[in-house]
Amino acid sequence: MTRPLPPAREAFVLPALFLTVAGAGGLRVSPDGGAMSFVPPPLITLVLAVLLLGVMARAGLLLPSGLLGDHRTGLENASGVVVLLSLFAASAQLFTCLTPDAGVLRLIFNLFFLFLLWNTLAAQPDRTRLLRSLLVVFGWAYVVRYVALAALADPQAGWTRRLLTVLLEGASSGPIAGEATAPLAGYVAFATLALYMTGLGLLPRPAPSAAAALVTTRAPDVLE
Amino acid sequence: MRVAGLVFATAYAAFIASVYARQPRTVQQLAGGMAASVGAYRVDPVNFQEGLRFFRADQFIEARAAFERADPARQDAPTQFYIAYSFYRQGWGRLYRDDALYRQGLEVVDRAIARAPGGRLVVADPNLQMHTADELRAELQRGLTRELSDLSPMKVFAERK
Repeated sequence: MTRPLPPAREAFVLPALFLTVAGAGGLRVSPDGGAMSFVPPPLITLVLAVLLLGVMARAGLLLPSGLLGDHRTGLENASGVVVLLSLFAASAQLFTCLTPDAGVLRLIFNLFFLFLLWNTLAAQPDRTRLLRSLLVVFGWAYVVRYVALAALADPQAGWTRRLLTVLLEGASSGPIAGEATAPLAGYVAFATLALYMTGLGLLPRPAPSAAAALVTTRAPDVLE
Repeated sequence: MRVAGLVFATAYAAFIASVYARQPRTVQQLAGGMAASVGAYRVDPVNFQEGLRFFRADQFIEARAAFERADPARQDAPTQFYIAYSFYRQGWGRLYRDDALYRQGLEVVDRAIARAPGGRLVVADPNLQMHTADELRAELQRGLTRELSDLSPMKVFAERK
């Protein structure tokens, strides 16, 4: 059982949020800020998005029965499908947004996401814990991609660059190359991440009795 | 409510897909694309006339600058046609053709064709010898193709269109 979503939220707010994330997630701005481009989702991000949606469904953050089912009319189901598709597109593009565009760092980021999601899937967290976990994972990815790597690539970054160089000294056989990023891209990515997390928070919640059953199933030792 | 939501989501998703397909490079191009999609995009007539004046005086670099100001979003097919034509005329030489300029012209004329309704673009300008984007495209492609007839001395007598 799920708490029914207000129609306006399901029909307008959630698709608008997730489609905005899907659109802004692929935005790339050249380091000088002069040109922009839109990157479609690489195949690996589609795989990560499927895995993420699976983790959400397992944890009760995404309740398919709240969006689709025989108890809903055809129009309501169509609306639910739009929410699911836009959530999938937003998830894929959020990974695109938080992952470097090329090189070994891209591979490292993708492996990082893959193993973390796999680990989260095995841990079976509840809705709240998963939200916190995703915030931490995406937040760290954002900081590394748009703060640390951008600082490493910026010769005028000053003490931030020196500090990072010292911290990373010995962590690799050679200097770690950063990725030049326009400041605007960092702001857009921050807003994109914030919108995505807001959208997740607005997804259908389980009804109170169902939530209690979920807790009993997931953590019987806590209740004892 | 839900029907309106579905229409809204479909339109918004289509807009995002079109942005990814068009790949605007600047905010002006993005805004122009949005305006063009609802039929509200207009070329600046003053800059367009200035571009035409430069074009007819064979000042092609100045003409392109003015045309770019007139159509910053690169959405207007006739303006893009004139820009492509300026690349053709600037790159045309009695003894040689400038491949770099011809390639740029080809890129722009393709864009003009893409922007034209149904892909058919006719510019009724009596000062031009090629009035359709297809003719201009073919001429630019011929200029980029290497063939035996390039060695013919009669080519010296060919006229710029």
